Amino acid sequence: MAPAILFLLAAVPCLYWPHGIDTRPAIEAAGIKHLCAPADQADGWRKAGLTVTTVSENDFGAREALSAPGVSPRPGVASPTRAPWIVASGWRFMRSPSTKYAYSAPAGKGALAAAEAFAYGVDAMIKVDPADLPSVGAMMAFLETLPNEDLPPVADFGVVDDGSAIVGEVMNLLARRNLLFHVEKEPAAQFRVNVVVGSAAYPQAEAADPSTFAQKVRSQLTDEQRSLRLFGSEVVIGRLTSDGKRARLHLINYGGRDIEGLRVRVRGGYKGGDAYIAGTGKAALQDLVVADGAIEFSLPKIGTYAAVDLR
Amino acid sequence: MHRRAFVRLLTAGAWVKAAGIDLIAKGKPAAPAKPGLQIRADLPTLKIVSRYSPAAVPGMPGPYPGRVIKVKSDNCVDTATNTANDQVVREMMAQGMRALTGAASTEDAWRRFFAPADVVGIKVNCGGFPNCISAYEIVGETVRQLTGLGVPVSQIYVYERFQNQMDECNYAAHLPQGVQTVAAERANRNTDNSGYDPETFLEANLFGEEDTRSNMMRLVSKRLTKIINIPNMKDHGATGATGCLKNIAYGSFSNVARTHQRGKSHTYSVVGTLASMEPVRSRTVLQIMDGIRGVWHGGPFARTTKYLFYPKQIMFGTDPVAIDRLLLDIIDNERKAHGAISIWDRNPASLKIDDGRARDADPNVNIIIREPGHVEFAASLGLGVADLAKIKVQELTV
Repeated sequence: MAPAILFLLAAVPCLYWPHGIDTRPAIEAAGIKHLCAPADQADGWRKAGLTVTTVSENDFGAREALSAPGVSPRPGVASPTRAPWIVASGWRFMRSPSTKYAYSAPAGKGALAAAEAFAYGVDAMIKVDPADLPSVGAMMAFLETLPNEDLPPVADFGVVDDGSAIVGEVMNLLARRNLLFHVEKEPAAQFRVNVVVGSAAYPQAEAADPSTFAQKVRSQLTDEQRSLRLFGSEVVIGRLTSDGKRARLHLINYGGRDIEGLRVRVRGGYKGGDAYIAGTGKAALQDLVVADGAIEFSLPKIGTYAAVDLR
Repeated sequence: MHRRAFVRLLTAGAWVKAAGIDLIAKGKPAAPAKPGLQIRADLPTLKIVSRYSPAAVPGMPGPYPGRVIKVKSDNCVDTATNTANDQVVREMMAQGMRALTGAASTEDAWRRFFAPADVVGIKVNCGGFPNCISAYEIVGETVRQLTGLGVPVSQIYVYERFQNQMDECNYAAHLPQGVQTVAAERANRNTDNSGYDPETFLEANLFGEEDTRSNMMRLVSKRLTKIINIPNMKDHGATGATGCLKNIAYGSFSNVARTHQRGKSHTYSVVGTLASMEPVRSRTVLQIMDGIRGVWHGGPFARTTKYLFYPKQIMFGTDPVAIDRLLLDIIDNERKAHGAISIWDRNPASLKIDDGRARDADPNVNIIIREPGHVEFAASLGLGVADLAKIKVQELTV
């Protein structure tokens, strides 16, 4: 198998499917070609023509469990704004990218979970509600068609992680606000801003209010200098990767509703690109503006996920 | 690819600064642009991005700054049924337009503003459905006058921000076939931005929100050549009253609800600033304030008749500030008549943050500290005359 295909198989999360071969019609109808299944089911699925990774219930349970992604209306908790609370695991992936993760996604969340795990390139398995098979299958198929990219993540500042819960919550709020950071063991010289919770500049007491804390970091960065800005939604989280010449932007819509005309601003010398939108396919960037050290464009519509390749 | 366009965009931003917006763009205590106006110091930084240049005579305040024609009629509405009288309204409008312009005929009065080649937007207000929206009779007569001048129905757009509100009001049923009834978003869900111009916007971080832009409707920036503003006389929980300025500003831009929340309102500076943005400012050439009905509390909504009242008047002008300055007193006087706190009340004891039920039940409850000073602030941007002593009102009775 070609290395590129191996990479894709590794990057697209695996559907953990403990159900028997009698569910084959649903699996086939969903277009699913690869499964993670218990040993006693694996042979049956292989005979049905699927590629199968054998995973026991214990193996699945031993993985680090993730919350079902999405939003919940918690006014005043997520932030002083009216933005809903986003349940997202990106910060956990950044904190521990080599950990093996598992979602037990309730109905309606399977495709979003798949997109989230894919965007961060982690090893994740997803157990889904059978009703989600069509949407999960469609998402998996879409993710597998994306052009291969393996670019380093972009960050505007560093966060020194001591592994504590409070730093985790700070990272959660920073990620939710599309404040792009690297997780560091100590302050990194390449960043103008290094967040060290507990330092004089970032007292522990301030971190107890992560939302306000995130606003402080945002004001230090300034919106103009941020590598990524999103307009037209408060429920989309972006993950930006780039080598300076090319970039891939993953956009994950946690809101559960299609968003039309999402506006994106990415700093850098990019002149154009293409969007790959789950449910739509390849699409041109709309209302493109290149100026002032940044590229701006709109996406016609984004459902759960889109990738944008810039060059 | 659009490098040049973007540079123009920034250049246009520089023009706006020259016109006085820099007073707020810097976020500093502003010296009043007009003598005698006292502008507050605690204003947020607002950044305007527009590549549109102003007209030689911008529509606001237009040719009649400080001038308001008030036409009253006891017979314009049956208060028992809340039904307007079409014939009386038509006569009120005819007299009002002639008085405003000094034209000998009603047709000539309308011709002062519109030509057959114009693409005309009629900014209605649907927020007070079902009891207090821009009257079908006024909107209908406006369309009749435009078509009488030779403006094709296909070049007339009745618009609001939200399609679900337009569907409720169903203006199309009251208008000639072919008049466009349009909206920018299906509903107020912050998921539909395609109806807005991504290159014309106000940028501001007011409460720490991530989405810091409010974009102008594409219809307004790309299609319309003229706009007629038809607001209602309504109380408003964040601005004190909502009239010409707020209807055209918050009704033509996206993502504006973010300006007022958790007891605090930035409408003081944002309403006028949005209204001052090009091309809205230049293209909004006529203000027709629908005061047939009014809402003295709980606005901008009017799901019940509990706070409905009947000013029985229509105001005409080109100066939105002057009309809105009069509106503040109309709403406040009605509130006083009912023993309610003033729209100018800033007493924290009156404030029950985010408690809409308490506000709806008790007119002495605010959910936000209101900002009726937004009218005076708009005057500081050159949008009109806020000084009552300088506003000339001509009153007519039908």
